[in-house]
Amino acid sequence: MRLEWGAEEEAFRAELIEFLAAHAPPEARRRRDFIGSDDGSLPGWARAWQATLFDHGWMVPGYPPELGGRNATPVQTLVYLEELARQGIPRSLHFGGYAIVGPSLLEFGSEAQRAMAPAAIRGDTVWCVGMSEPDAGSDLASLSTRAELDGDSFVVNGQKVWTSYAMVAEKCFCYVRTNPDVPKHKGISVVIIDLDSPGVEVRPLRHVTGAAEFAEVFFTDVVVPRGNLVGQLDDGWRITMGSLAHERGGIWLEGVSGCQRTVDDLVALAHRRRLDRDLAVRRRLAAAYAEAQGLRALGYKGFAGFAQGSSAPEHSYMKLATSELRQDLYELGLDLQGPFGVVTDPERAEEGGRWPHAFLVSLAATIGGGTSEIQRNVIATRVLGLPRG
Amino acid sequence: MDFTLTEEQEMLRQAARSLFTRECPSSLVRAHMDDPAAADPLWKHLREWTALAAGDTVDLCLFLEEAGAAVAPGPFFATTALFGPVLAAAGHTALESVQAGELTGTVAMAGADGAWTANGDPVKTFVPELDRVDQVAFVGEGPTVAVVPAQGLAWRPVATLDSTRRLFEVEGPADRSAAVPVAAQALADAVGRATVAVAAELVGAGRWLLDATVAYAKERTQFGRPIGSFQGLQFEITDMALAWERAAAAVAYAAMALDAADPDRRTAVHVAKAQAGEAARRCARVGMQVHGGIGYTWEHDLHLRLRRAYAGDGLLGPVTWHLDRLAELLFDSDRET
Ligand SMILES: Cc1cc2nc3c(=O)[nH]c(=O)nc-3n(C[C@H](O)[C@H](O)[C@H](O)COP(=O)(O)OP(=O)(O)OC[C@H]3O[C@@H](n4cnc5c(N)ncnc54)[C@H](O)[C@@H]3O)c2cc1C
Repeated sequence: MRLEWGAEEEAFRAELIEFLAAHAPPEARRRRDFIGSDDGSLPGWARAWQATLFDHGWMVPGYPPELGGRNATPVQTLVYLEELARQGIPRSLHFGGYAIVGPSLLEFGSEAQRAMAPAAIRGDTVWCVGMSEPDAGSDLASLSTRAELDGDSFVVNGQKVWTSYAMVAEKCFCYVRTNPDVPKHKGISVVIIDLDSPGVEVRPLRHVTGAAEFAEVFFTDVVVPRGNLVGQLDDGWRITMGSLAHERGGIWLEGVSGCQRTVDDLVALAHRRRLDRDLAVRRRLAAAYAEAQGLRALGYKGFAGFAQGSSAPEHSYMKLATSELRQDLYELGLDLQGPFGVVTDPERAEEGGRWPHAFLVSLAATIGGGTSEIQRNVIATRVLGLPRG
Repeated sequence: MDFTLTEEQEMLRQAARSLFTRECPSSLVRAHMDDPAAADPLWKHLREWTALAAGDTVDLCLFLEEAGAAVAPGPFFATTALFGPVLAAAGHTALESVQAGELTGTVAMAGADGAWTANGDPVKTFVPELDRVDQVAFVGEGPTVAVVPAQGLAWRPVATLDSTRRLFEVEGPADRSAAVPVAAQALADAVGRATVAVAAELVGAGRWLLDATVAYAKERTQFGRPIGSFQGLQFEITDMALAWERAAAAVAYAAMALDAADPDRRTAVHVAKAQAGEAARRCARVGMQVHGGIGYTWEHDLHLRLRRAYAGDGLLGPVTWHLDRLAELLFDSDRET
């Protein structure tokens, strides 16, 4: 056990800091509470920034240069994630492309599909990930969007829902049922669907914040070339597990750093509202601080195991804990302002209405990407070995 | 103590429920976000119920629970739960016109700190529906009450999470001659009544959330069974129901205590508002979680109640404010609040 990184890692960090200072656009430095844009569009600065990161080998440092990286070691990658999180700088406003689609294409794709990975990671091609359906959310394996093989192509019929960025995406990394006659996990495949194909209809849905950030996607007799199948037929379930494997040891940093920044901001808010001598407020904030610090330590502890190649059960706790803590922190931010907490009027609200907005946004964190209940089920059965209910 | 409703009260509740179901669909609530005039047709029906401004608090609360469930917009709450009671406390003759459904009004009382205690602040905050009512009762230091026409006042809207209740900032009237003294106890009871009225609305919004959540947990299936059969969700929903039941009872108790001028009524009001704010917020958060992705959409009506739950908690004192007042009563028995 050891508290500091070595000289080599710090040199790596220094280089990154220098790069960020020189290139990060001011918009990326706007301390944001969440990744994502407010209106569902992908602003030009964000696209340019992602491309700049890629071109300098700072998009996914663990990858080789042609994939936007610099062959960084796991520890260097952690330092990288740490520094971005510390400065609150996002890499991209849509993580689907570089974090899910790119890595999956590289791991499971054909040669032609692997060639699509750089554009996905650089953000030149915007992707959406079509998993959830009206009747298949937590129970993803029961998805029913049907893809029937007809000669050299699939014919796709069905519907996806809550598909982030489908309105702006060119392509959908889409989970479909290719075999209805086998146990449900065994009849799923992934196909790449061009969203401008005839028979695709994208109907925007709005988040509770009002931002049109996700959509319903309908497929009616959409013809998809057989070559767009990713991996083997009926073997798509395996792909749900594939994402940025070498970053997995550090993705928790985003959540923890977000919590820590929010605690800092709450302390500042309490000062501004003259609550800094209020014992109840002091204790609540100190408890939040302790929780965030504890989670940070737990994340690093998990990383140590991860870097040595073992799986890190600690990381199963991180999404659950950081998403719930963040909700509580934003709610606390409302409470600290008394009756003014719900004011959204930019001229009257603290920080232009940041707190109520961030609170609403935070409600998604315990639903998207696997609900808190599903996370608890996974921890209970896989980490703790409790019997299944 | 008897919590059972009389036959008249049961009829009042039923009448309110069917009125709001019929006249206040979510399409009206959503149209009102962009154009406040969308609530006018609802007001045409509600103006027949403004006699509630002066009757029993219990009756007003029964009615407003239904208004809260429907997140009803418009001047009814401001007129019957704020303006009417303050007129009554001041012995103002305009109360008759309010009861007859001929006059709408609101109250400007909270000052810079947002608390509903008499103060001399020049700018009043959290004034509901100010631009769409006839008159405003300004409550000032003393305490005093000045009833003036809303027209001609210097105001500005202040947007909150909840578009169904429009709030304003307003400067006190230039002419102070209208201010007349009001008995402190009478004013405290009027504010107490308004506070319990907001709590009743919160109970209504919470009930909608609870009912919708229980129904959804029964009907939504994942993994081949209703999600309501997963114990993890059952416990969450059970705790939500407990919070709601406790709050609904506390609100009914406080309403009865006000009607009986019970010596315990001040405490009961703080308990009711704190419990109702807590319960409504909890119902909103658990309700959202149980609904999953569909609950997170703008298109689903859940967020309309979630917004009302948080904004209603803030109005006339959030949970924390009422708990602080209770703490003073518990610890500083010599202190008058
Ligand atoms: C902001 C946002 C963005 C999203 N983006 C995408 C996207 O880009 N692509 C995509 O495919 N999907 C996306 N989703 C959908 C998301 O993945 C689903 O909402 C999520 O998986 C939950 O599914 P569901 O909404 O159907 O809820 P359900 O699965 O119906 O769950 C409802 C409730 O039941 C609980 N529950 C379910 N099963 C169990 C169980 N076994 N034990 C205990 N409790 C259980 C859940 O925890 C939840 O509380 C997004 C969602 C949100 C909110």
